[in-house]
Amino acid sequence: MVKLIGAVLILFSASMVGWQIGRYYAFRPVQLRALLVALQMLETEIVYGLTPLHRAFVKIGHRVPAEVGRLFLTAAELLITERAQTAEEALQQAIGAHWPQTALRRQEREVLSSLGQVLGSSDREDQQKHLRLAVTHLRGLEEEARAEQGRYEKMYKSLGFLCGLLVVILMF
Amino acid sequence: MKEIMAILPASVRSILTALPSAVREHLEEIRLRQNQPMEIRYGQQSSYVTPSGQLTANARQGWIFSEEQSVKLLNQVSHHSLYALEEELKRGYITVVGGHRIGIAGKVVLEKGEVKGIRDVTSFNIRIAREKKGAAHSVLPFLFENGRVHNTLIISPPQCGKTTLLRDIARSLSYGSEWSSSRKVGIVDERSELAGCLNGVPQRDVGPRTDVLDACPKAVGMMMLIRSMSPDVLIVDEIGRTEDGEAVWEAIHAGVAVICTAHGADVSEVAQRPTLGRLIQYGAFSRYIVLSRANGVGTVEAVYDGGLTRVEREKIAWLS
Repeated sequence: MVKLIGAVLILFSASMVGWQIGRYYAFRPVQLRALLVALQMLETEIVYGLTPLHRAFVKIGHRVPAEVGRLFLTAAELLITERAQTAEEALQQAIGAHWPQTALRRQEREVLSSLGQVLGSSDREDQQKHLRLAVTHLRGLEEEARAEQGRYEKMYKSLGFLCGLLVVILMF
Repeated sequence: MKEIMAILPASVRSILTALPSAVREHLEEIRLRQNQPMEIRYGQQSSYVTPSGQLTANARQGWIFSEEQSVKLLNQVSHHSLYALEEELKRGYITVVGGHRIGIAGKVVLEKGEVKGIRDVTSFNIRIAREKKGAAHSVLPFLFENGRVHNTLIISPPQCGKTTLLRDIARSLSYGSEWSSSRKVGIVDERSELAGCLNGVPQRDVGPRTDVLDACPKAVGMMMLIRSMSPDVLIVDEIGRTEDGEAVWEAIHAGVAVICTAHGADVSEVAQRPTLGRLIQYGAFSRYIVLSRANGVGTVEAVYDGGLTRVEREKIAWLS
């Protein structure tokens, strides 16, 4: 009886591990999409609204899903309270604080950091060029993430269950 | 002053706080040039400032404004959003909270032969705005007759308090005074000097019944205001171009009183100029106020009526 309960527990936890890993592959494209939307909104705010950066960050931060929104809200707060001297610094600090909680990877981080280096420091046309470039980059990454999701999400989910099953079989 | 302090880099801020308070209270300009000592202007004098906040005439002892500082200052002034200052960079100055103005110079970027903006900003001239309420007090009685406001031309050499006087007239008309009831006032503020608008909101007190068209060319702006806001009095700074003259002429015949300014030492000098000369000749104005620095900034030298005879205050008092 105890053995049976143990077997069920092992099966359950192994499935959960597989499910967690699989979920990571599902989250990445969703958050990438949110980041893309955020940058497109930033483009509108900058190019058409001429909104100062900190105000644009707050606006965007509230309108995209929290995992990504937090980045912008923190950056805005750092700028407003003058704890960051430049927009680049603010964005870097926000990334440092919140990146581990996202499903995003190093490539995305690099795109955002390099955008941070020019954000707010040139005229509209130039800002638009840089934002478009970042968006194009992220689109490529998004496609890649979706392909990975298709390939690995199901696989890890079944792999977890199957590993659990293997252990259970070996146990009996 | 507080608003100015908020946008300055910490290092500049601490030097300014170390200044003797007598100097700090009369501060007119803070001039910062990249890799050059900081210069301040106060009460007609100018001086360099040492890192410890002492005044000095020796440029070598002055605190040097570095490139890093200039980037920081521009960042602070623009709220890290240079793109939002495109128009300002084209005009060469930025208005900040409190109506203070920051003049800038540096490398100009051209597009099709026109100034597109200033890229490497290396010189800043921070001009501290101080309101002189009551500057118009001495001339107000001359501006009214039988409940009408006179079309008035204020003539003055540069830096004699012309704009300050004009702003105070606008404010007094808008609030109303012992000489007249309050009026609807329209200001066309082409250079953002009169109302010192930030995001369209006047930073100077121009009165509760005042509408401001900020950064709008004068001639177009006057017509726009007449059509859209039906002002009783139009206030415009520095009339000079042909189209300005035409707009003044139109406004006067649309039943709107116009109060405007022109550079010059006296009426006869201004009358030499083509546009203004014609306006004066055709009797567009019924009052001329001539300013000078004879007894300090904003001295009212004389007030003339439309026929260019001097109007004495006693006579006005007697008339009313």
